[in-house]
Amino acid sequence: MIKRSKSMYGYYLVWPALIIYSVFFVVPAIIGLYYSFTDWRLDRVGVKFIGFDNFHKIFTDETLLLAMKNTLIFAIATVVGKNVIGLLLAIALNMRLKSRNFLRAIFYSPSILSVLVISIIFTPMLRTEGMVNKFLDSIGLHFLSQAWLTNPDLVIWTVALVAIWQSAGFQMAIYLAGLQSISKDYYEAATIDGAGAWKSFTNITVPLLLPALNINLMLTLIGGLKVFSEVFVLTSGGPGNSSQVVGTIILRAFGEGNWGLGTAINTLLFIIVTLIAIPLLIFMRRKEVTE
Amino acid sequence: MSFSRKLALRNYIVELVLLIASLGIIIPLLLMIFGSFMTSAEVSKFQIRLPDKWMFSNYVTVFKEGGLARAFLNGIVITGVSAILNIATSSAAAFILARRESKLSSYLYLFFFMGLIAPMSTITTIRVVQWLGFYGSVTSVILIYAALNTAFSIFLYSGFIKSVPKALDEVAFLEGASLLGVFFRIITPLIVPVNATVAIMVFMSVWNDITIPLYFLTDSSTWTMPLSIYNFYGKYSRDWNLIFADLVMTSIPVLILYLLGQKYIVSGLTAGAVKG
Repeated sequence: MIKRSKSMYGYYLVWPALIIYSVFFVVPAIIGLYYSFTDWRLDRVGVKFIGFDNFHKIFTDETLLLAMKNTLIFAIATVVGKNVIGLLLAIALNMRLKSRNFLRAIFYSPSILSVLVISIIFTPMLRTEGMVNKFLDSIGLHFLSQAWLTNPDLVIWTVALVAIWQSAGFQMAIYLAGLQSISKDYYEAATIDGAGAWKSFTNITVPLLLPALNINLMLTLIGGLKVFSEVFVLTSGGPGNSSQVVGTIILRAFGEGNWGLGTAINTLLFIIVTLIAIPLLIFMRRKEVTE
Repeated sequence: MSFSRKLALRNYIVELVLLIASLGIIIPLLLMIFGSFMTSAEVSKFQIRLPDKWMFSNYVTVFKEGGLARAFLNGIVITGVSAILNIATSSAAAFILARRESKLSSYLYLFFFMGLIAPMSTITTIRVVQWLGFYGSVTSVILIYAALNTAFSIFLYSGFIKSVPKALDEVAFLEGASLLGVFFRIITPLIVPVNATVAIMVFMSVWNDITIPLYFLTDSSTWTMPLSIYNFYGKYSRDWNLIFADLVMTSIPVLILYLLGQKYIVSGLTAGAVKG
């Protein structure tokens, strides 16, 4: 009986998804591995195998190194910013506040809009004489006003701040869903046993919130390493090359016809994302099970 | 002070802080909305206030000059077809992967799951699309979006389908139903809410995306709204009233979808937050 019912589920229903996914996602990744080791260019007919030359170039070219450093800064800053703010908002908006539905909707709303929309709104606001600096001056925080988009040392952090502004609310929504799945009984039992608020938080909320924390950390980390649109619209990698990230460098290499090099950078991004994400995923899965 | 009074006071303080913080979200959005109705000179002061005179004509101008009607239709076709394609293929695949308890099916699940992590290889995807002979076409973009969203959709569907008792299928099989019959008559009606979640999530991410059109849509007649706006933004960088009107217009479809489909978004988020 069991054998018979198993064979009822024919694999042919998997084929359509498998074909689309393989042709348009997996195959390009695999041939990308090959092209990373070639001098593939727009203006050349054949390709020549050149070993690790592209990778050597990536690790010696100043702009490419800066792009990788910026990508890491952006990823770490946004992982921390989105999750800390998202979690604080979720905890606060899980309390019985009169305006909580309104506030939830407001904080969530930027995340449904296009990155393009948010980035264009912030462009005039972040100018030296823009709204952000005017506001800081008016509340007496003049020392905080900055050349947000033109100071080469600051610009990648500015882009990260805009990204946090846009999607901390999305992280909040996931944390809220996690918080709401925790039964109130646990807290009541803890209060009866004499546990304070902090103890309840560390012993009930944190462990039961781990799945939400996991998914948020993964989403923000992977999204952060793949960053492209925010930088592309806000700064186009500038001023100079000071805010280039891996995503914008790939577009530049593509535009210049350096396809082999562009593909090599992509392969490197693939390796970095996989090396960070998979151990993290396995580690957090294990932690979740033991709780 | 009693405990409940203290609690009430704490709630008031938290609420006050949050209301002030929410201004940080509201003000930039109002800058865009009010600005979209101002004159070019008025908007360039970038101040938060109501327009002196409401210039609804900005929207008409943008619609004509920006070629937005075309971009809107392109966006609807691309998002709509890729969402439907994604729903049909992913739910069918997830159904089999969730029901088969073999090594092969769990490897296939992992194979799909990698798509949630790995970044897309853009330049070689262009190569593949060129080989297939439809680089620059709307079809290529639809298939790419369907592929990019497969991982997440299969993840959502298989979590849900696993919670549907297998006994339901078995009874139908005993009564002589085919696999497709079981899928369409038993599984499909039960996963309607997941379909809604996937449809909304795919629609929003595809509608808002700028990366894929930038690489794959070489002809401006096939552009979607965000790309048209980016182009418009470059050309009319002085007329912020028109730029803001453009931004409002591209945001309206996702806003409507969000208001209509809120509960499906929440259930999607919950699936992620609870199952991990």
